[in-house]
Amino acid sequence: MTRVKRGNVSRKRHKKVLTLTKGFRGAASLLFRTANQQNMKALRSAYTNRRKKKRDFRRLWITRVNAALRTYGFNYSEFLYILKNSKIVLNRKVLAQLAICDPDTFFKFVMSLK
Amino acid sequence: MPPNPARPFAGLERVDFTGLRMRLIDADNQVIGRLAAYLSMLLQGKDKPTYAPHKDAGDVCVVVNAERAVFTGNKWEAKVYRWHTGYPGGLKEITARELWRRDPAEILRRTVAGMLPKNNLRDARLRKLRVFPGPQHPFTGVELVPAQPPRRRLRDRGLGWALPPGFEPMNPEAYLVRMRGSRLAGGGHGGAGELQQQQARAQPDGDAAGGAQPGGEPIAFDDLLTADELAFVQRSQQARAGRGGGDS
Repeated sequence: MTRVKRGNVSRKRHKKVLTLTKGFRGAASLLFRTANQQNMKALRSAYTNRRKKKRDFRRLWITRVNAALRTYGFNYSEFLYILKNSKIVLNRKVLAQLAICDPDTFFKFVMSLK
Repeated sequence: MPPNPARPFAGLERVDFTGLRMRLIDADNQVIGRLAAYLSMLLQGKDKPTYAPHKDAGDVCVVVNAERAVFTGNKWEAKVYRWHTGYPGGLKEITARELWRRDPAEILRRTVAGMLPKNNLRDARLRKLRVFPGPQHPFTGVELVPAQPPRRRLRDRGLGWALPPGFEPMNPEAYLVRMRGSRLAGGGHGGAGELQQQQARAQPDGDAAGGAQPGGEPIAFDDLLTADELAFVQRSQQARAGRGGGDS
């Protein structure tokens, strides 16, 4: 058999993973075997958490809108019912931002629905 | 941790007060668990539209008259606080009444602590809660915004049917307590049920059901009858005595 040097083949392969694991704790950013495992975990988490992020933000907006409504004596559940019936398609993200940045308009909007 | 020295802002030195209010809550005659739920909302900052779960942006809550907060039912005797010291055989118990005797503020503090989310912000949020047993608090000269817990509508725990006329209840006190929130027995004022703060609470023996006395018993919320209810009890007892005397 002809002699085959392994050369830089493995190094190039490993480098790809190690650049992805920069900032990981301990051996996970330095040693390929550990880094590979942690990298796989990280990518899997990233996949599911991209979906979770959408859920999390919606929860946050709901909490914020609820808080803003309760300062005026309304609550989120009744408000949503009225909103759905009135066929307004403003979403919770918009409402939450409105409640924070422009509370006067938010208040007028809420009162106009009542 | 519990002792609150004459330095009111001890523990609050690292708090950034921008955007926060200092709230004053009166625990007098409030149901402990419901008040604690309200306090936990305030401490997390969930009453503000700028709520963010990673920030500790809740208001500082100063609670006064903690010794006058109430448990409903038999909880003063029945509720037992348990903890383990870590040593073998070190399970300790204490009833709510005994804990109240030792430190009335501790009950409310524990209840609120149990209602805060168990995360890294919990300690910081608890530090923003200051509970004082009496009506005094050392936060003089600080602007305290009052916070009112929401008023409750009592549930209708009645029998579902009213006594037919001519019948007297055999146990008028129990009947009245049971029918308090009931729409049938005239307990509904405007259909909204009675509000928790009853203005016309009768003092049964004049031995002051207020828990503010040193070593006095806490108010057993359900047991006290209003003036109207006392009158009803006396009337029905007389009617019963009259009929009993007539029967034999």
